[in-house]
Amino acid sequence: MNVPPERDSSGRFVKPEQEAPKPSDENMHPMSKLLFGWVGSPRTPLILLVLVIVICAGLVVFDLTVNRHEYLDFANANGFYALWGFAAFALAVLSGWPLGKLLRRDEDYYGEAETTPQDVESDS
Amino acid sequence: MSGLLGQINPGLLLVIVGFAGCLIPAQRVRQALMVATPVVAMILLALAERGTDLAVTSVLDLELVFYRVDSLSFIFGLAFLIAAFLNAIYALHTDDRLQDGMALAYAGAAVSATFAGDLMTLFIFWEITAVSSVFLILRAGTKAAYQAAMRYLGVQIFSGVLLLDGLAYVYKSTGSLSLEAFTSFDQPGAKFIFAAFAIKAAFPFLHNWLQDAYPKATVIGAVVLSAFTTKLAVYAFARMFPGFEILIWIGAIMTVFPVFFAVIENDLRKVLSYSLNNQLGFMICAIGIGTPLAINGAAAHAFAHIIYKGLLFMSMGAVLYRVGTAKASELGGLYKSMPWTTIFCIIGAVSISAFPLFSGFVAKAMTMSAVAKEGYIIVWLILLFASAGVLEHSGIKIPYFTFFGHDSGKRVKEAPFNMLLAMGMASFICIAIGLPTIGGFGYGWLYDMLPCTATAPADVCSISDKEIKPYAPYTVDHVLTQLQLLMFAVLAFILLKRFGLYPPEKPGTILDTDWLYRKPGYGMVKWAGTVWGKTGPAMTSFFAGLGARTFEKIETTFSPRGALARGPLTVSMAMWSAVLLGIVMLVVLLAR
Repeated sequence: MNVPPERDSSGRFVKPEQEAPKPSDENMHPMSKLLFGWVGSPRTPLILLVLVIVICAGLVVFDLTVNRHEYLDFANANGFYALWGFAAFALAVLSGWPLGKLLRRDEDYYGEAETTPQDVESDS
Repeated sequence: MSGLLGQINPGLLLVIVGFAGCLIPAQRVRQALMVATPVVAMILLALAERGTDLAVTSVLDLELVFYRVDSLSFIFGLAFLIAAFLNAIYALHTDDRLQDGMALAYAGAAVSATFAGDLMTLFIFWEITAVSSVFLILRAGTKAAYQAAMRYLGVQIFSGVLLLDGLAYVYKSTGSLSLEAFTSFDQPGAKFIFAAFAIKAAFPFLHNWLQDAYPKATVIGAVVLSAFTTKLAVYAFARMFPGFEILIWIGAIMTVFPVFFAVIENDLRKVLSYSLNNQLGFMICAIGIGTPLAINGAAAHAFAHIIYKGLLFMSMGAVLYRVGTAKASELGGLYKSMPWTTIFCIIGAVSISAFPLFSGFVAKAMTMSAVAKEGYIIVWLILLFASAGVLEHSGIKIPYFTFFGHDSGKRVKEAPFNMLLAMGMASFICIAIGLPTIGGFGYGWLYDMLPCTATAPADVCSISDKEIKPYAPYTVDHVLTQLQLLMFAVLAFILLKRFGLYPPEKPGTILDTDWLYRKPGYGMVKWAGTVWGKTGPAMTSFFAGLGARTFEKIETTFSPRGALARGPLTVSMAMWSAVLLGIVMLVVLLAR
């Protein structure tokens, strides 16, 4: 199907926006391919999610079989640590939205945008 | 021979070699010294006799104890020496005389302060840490670093002045400068010394110098800085303020507030600085609890922390060195080009998050148990929250946004070999002291060094309860609960990321309480300066005019050409004599 070329408000033809080229993996460190070759796979996020859910479920189920002896009674409840860990993490991260709005200013706010120390020898 | 060697303060050796190192131009010779000296120092420390004053000197009627080792100072001193050794290796790729020398002298000052046997010696080395460390920030060479270095120096010196003030009170009231623990704030000097330590330990509202200066230091400077100053303060608190209840609450607050700042901060070295603050909170809290278990927890945590925090700063330093930035918004996908750095960073991250089999797990466990055992429910819940927070900023954010996440397309070289070597060694220690003890290898090595043992002297464990059961971190309960906490937090991360609820990394400056003195405070000083600049000359000319007019009046009256001198001299003299005599007689008459 032919898509008519787009024009801007003054009638000139506009090039369709090109997607940024995907960074190539040609120069990948050989050790990276060996150790982290699996990271780039499109299925990895899902597999990780399932894996973590399985581990979490396993930990809660295992908790049922253990009679814990905590100094603080309420901590003996099954899954207390799981709930607290999940809630604490979520609270910390979600608070980033309002806090970011409240506290984030321009990078040069204090007039110190340039902070790269002189002993850096970057090659990028 | 070993007796004599055992009397040399290893820290002093580091200070002397460090200052001398600033003058050695030959890179290899200097660096060989920088690496070898901490090793020699560790041997000297091993030879030292415990619990006696090893090097005493008398200055101006004051008896200064330059070297005294006991179980509390030993573990801190050893951790400092290991850090000095690793830092020297990490710095091998650079040729910077001043930085090399000052890094060693700074480490040496921290070690010397740890082994100081009296307050005056502590003060001397307390100040040397401030003066030597500032070069690690200055060497970054940027304007921002220069300004931060000046703020840092001001704060650090102020801490020293408070310490000096406090020790003067102590000396006046007790006649000695001993490092004996305080029992209440009412004791002379206690409040000053507490405030001096509080500044160096980066208590809430006194913390800004840390997050201000560390991220602006050089690549190597930030690694070096992360190890010493704050842990020296933790040691000082453990020495002089164990069991002060207020420390429990201050520590708890310290663990929490940096979590929120770390979430939104973009500069990853600054994230690590907030994380450092959060870790100090655990140690301060433990010192506040003050039981033998808690003091052991603080010491173990400090030891483990010095290594894994150094490791994390090293990995971010390597990234900064190669990529030219440590900002999360500009990083990502670096696992493709820096796999070794990635692995070492992950080891540091899981160590600080206290995953079982890593050093943070065996160290933090004692503090958590001690807090629960003493029944501080709210504090315990806060620390548990902060534990999940540590996982967020140091466990996940640091490695994820640097090495994984969105691929920035940056392809760089792997870090220099010496950096990898230092990171590898630090990683080894993180794992070696975290493993269950099998055949003498594992956390037992760390636990054997802890300060509060059944035979510890009273000045280390001032609590009367001397019954110390060996703590066992690897129980089913503990492993299970810790894994639950951490794995559900990981699950939260994955879900939040998946549903787009994780705040994106954005460039920007995050305001902290230092805004108060860097904006309104600075503004007020500037305003006062302008006002003074204008009113000063006006006032000067006003007073000058007033003075001139007064002088003129006096002169016209009293001078030889003045009103009083007119007419024959004798007449006026006789008249004035009569008047004065009359006044005197009147006064005498009335006074009767």
